[in-house]
Amino acid sequence: MGIIRALKLGYDYKRYTDDEQELKVRAVDGVDLDVEAGEFIAILGHNGSGKSTFAKHINALLLPSEGAMFIDGVDTSKEPELWRIRQKAGMVFQNPDNQIISTVVEDDVAFGPENLGVPQDQIWARMEESLKKVGMYAYREKSPNRLSGGQKQRVAIAGIVAMRPKIIIFDEPTAMLDPNGRKDVLAVAHELCRTEKVTIILITHYMEEVIGADRVFVMDGGRVALSGTPREVFSRVEELKRLRLDVPDVTDLAYALKKKGLPFPDGILTREEFRTAVRENRILPARAETESPAAVRRTFAERTTQRSAKPEFAEASEPGTLDKSHEHTAEPVFACDISKNPSNVRQEGETLLELENVTFAYSLGTAYETKALDDISLKIPKGQFIGVIGHTGSGKSTLIQHFNGLMRPTAGRVLFEGKDIWEKGYDLRKLRTRVGMVFQFPESQLFETDVLTDCAFGPKNQGFSVEEAKEKAKAALHIVGIGEELYAASPFELSGGQKRRVAIAGILAMEPDILILDEPTAGLDPKGRDEILGRVRDFHNDHGITIVLVSHSMEDVAAYADRLVVVHEGKIAFDDTPANVFSRYRELESMGLAAPQITYLMNELAEDGFAVDTSADTVEKAEADILKRWHR
Amino acid sequence: MLQDITLGQYYPGNSILHRLDPRTKFLGTLIFIVGLFLVQGVIGYTFVTVVLLALIFLSQVPWKIVLKGLRAVLFILILTMLFNIFLIPGKVIAQWWIFRITEEGLYTAIRMGIRLVYLVTGSTLLTLTTIPTAMTDAMESLFRPLKVFHVPVHEIAMMMSIALRFIPILMEETEKIKKAQMARGADFESGSFFRRIKSLVPLLVPLFVSAFQRANDLALAMEARCYHGGEGRTRMKPLRYAKRDVIAYILLAVFIGVCILCLIFGL
Repeated sequence: MGIIRALKLGYDYKRYTDDEQELKVRAVDGVDLDVEAGEFIAILGHNGSGKSTFAKHINALLLPSEGAMFIDGVDTSKEPELWRIRQKAGMVFQNPDNQIISTVVEDDVAFGPENLGVPQDQIWARMEESLKKVGMYAYREKSPNRLSGGQKQRVAIAGIVAMRPKIIIFDEPTAMLDPNGRKDVLAVAHELCRTEKVTIILITHYMEEVIGADRVFVMDGGRVALSGTPREVFSRVEELKRLRLDVPDVTDLAYALKKKGLPFPDGILTREEFRTAVRENRILPARAETESPAAVRRTFAERTTQRSAKPEFAEASEPGTLDKSHEHTAEPVFACDISKNPSNVRQEGETLLELENVTFAYSLGTAYETKALDDISLKIPKGQFIGVIGHTGSGKSTLIQHFNGLMRPTAGRVLFEGKDIWEKGYDLRKLRTRVGMVFQFPESQLFETDVLTDCAFGPKNQGFSVEEAKEKAKAALHIVGIGEELYAASPFELSGGQKRRVAIAGILAMEPDILILDEPTAGLDPKGRDEILGRVRDFHNDHGITIVLVSHSMEDVAAYADRLVVVHEGKIAFDDTPANVFSRYRELESMGLAAPQITYLMNELAEDGFAVDTSADTVEKAEADILKRWHR
Repeated sequence: MLQDITLGQYYPGNSILHRLDPRTKFLGTLIFIVGLFLVQGVIGYTFVTVVLLALIFLSQVPWKIVLKGLRAVLFILILTMLFNIFLIPGKVIAQWWIFRITEEGLYTAIRMGIRLVYLVTGSTLLTLTTIPTAMTDAMESLFRPLKVFHVPVHEIAMMMSIALRFIPILMEETEKIKKAQMARGADFESGSFFRRIKSLVPLLVPLFVSAFQRANDLALAMEARCYHGGEGRTRMKPLRYAKRDVIAYILLAVFIGVCILCLIFGL
């Protein structure tokens, strides 16, 4: 018998209706699972699929309503001292802040062993050992408040490791982290599995994180819908999409091409596998003689000239961006060095918002003066879809808060429609209704008793009557796809994705000219992510509203933005089309960023000696490019 | 910045005062305050002053920072002194319109002033040299006898240390929600008193929702880490008296002895 064994496990949530009726909601339904010690298991599923509820049975935070759960041979519902099970099966939660209890890192790590009654000298040894394992020993005397999200999460892991569990359950541990924090946490999980032989249960909806697992279980509606090795599961692309999930971009691309008749094997997971398949099955033509391998590292200027000379690339891109691509390729300006000459994207239409040499410094005039923004100049014309990227702490949040006057520059000017917003008598409240800002995790701003009233809060502040405000709220809710049946619901009863959309509607209801979205998809499952970004894009296309999308996901900005601003150390490092920015992926990496997976893949294929368009940065573009060459 | 609030007023250092057991410091402060109210005359006050100055010197905390603690009570200080000066009856030494200053009033005012200043400075010194968590540990340990009366000492101390951890997080959150509502056109600054109170609803509701959510998460996380109350717990950093604490207690005994002598002889 394995270390974790679920037998026909079922769990009902109890809910009470308005008339005090007890309602049972089935969250987990007849799950059978057998995990051997030392395995790395991934559990996938969209939000509300029952995966977290199931996971909470492994450390007896929940006890089964039906069936049984055996941990290391012990039936969890028959163990009177539940903490004995929890010592064997530790759990790392989603929000790093809400699981650290002490104001000093080392004290927090000691919390678990202290609860277990471990003798004092051994606690010290365990604390030091576990902090070293997660690479946080140097921070042992620091306050958790001073650490980044990824670092806090590693402290939380150390706190679990210090209890010496046989199993560690990671419940969406990376959902609130930036890409670098995500990588570190994943690396620690794999390291613990490999060197300490700890059984790992990883719950996630990031597909890339699943690839290294031994086995994958996909949950839907409280049941196990699919299971197998990552390769087996990811060969079933259609089924996964039906389950509101995604596959890694490389898998998606290989699958799409295979469907078009190209000889790709099933379940390609990594770029290496994709390259091997291309090589072995002679899928792509070799590059012409003139394009020697040395030309792979050709300079940016050469690449773009070549690109402008081949207008058919533009046709290869998806229909929605066709017109814009044409305009870009016609731009002679591409040949110059972008880092010296920031805005290469064509400035069409009138400038709506402008930053003129904006600097923002903390502790001005003291020895501790730090510049969060350093002499930034930026023009935002009407109707653009702008992506803003930069690693945590680069200054991008500070930057966008200057757009609507929530922060005041220490030097420089912010102009909206040509007027200085910090001039005396300027109506900042009105500005904020025209420059709509959706903060990270915007659902935390919901406060009214029903969805419609909450959404009408903005228009009411603008001075509209209750009736008018409600009309505007209805229109905004329609844009984000919230139907009439939810108008009267409490915002706190909605699902995560719905809450997020209601919060965005609350900003849209003010009918702003610019919509700024700060990480609007953080923590959502793939379907929720696509829904929100898709709605935003449709609204942008239909109404020409200007969008500023701050994101950690290079895939998202590649797919949606037509201009990309890269913020690094308080300055604008790049300001260009996404394709042009991503072509400089090595420089992006030095800034702690990366290009989309597809960009890497296309560049690697070029290095392997195949003729491909290295500027393709989305699955659609890469698919079109490879398909075109295959037919040739 | 907001993050600094966790540390309260703690001034990092490694002086003898920093290294003393928090229980010693806690009880020491109480004894100092009692002594302060025992002494009567110039000799007594001089003695207490010397002791306080010596403590500040030993703490190696800059004077400026120690005295900063007084700013918060300056208003109360001035008010009490004025009340004493003008309202205590006795031998009149100066008179102007309805105000009259008496000799007794003047003396009481000076005594009260000194006591208040020393009291605040003494407790500031405690918070400056003691990490907040060490303070909660000290309280848990010192109040343990109250368990006999079913006072949940461990739980109260645990709550206090969790509060210390989450206060800065919630303050940051307040700032975030405030900005988010300002982006929706909310106005927190103008309007009548009633309107301002009403304008806080969009701030307070999300804050409470978030606080409850965090409390819920934290409770789960603590359970997952095998927390099952104070029974059977061990400590990584148990409070243990060192030789310096014994010396400190002897000195405290001498101090309170001298103060009692001052009281008896009216010094």
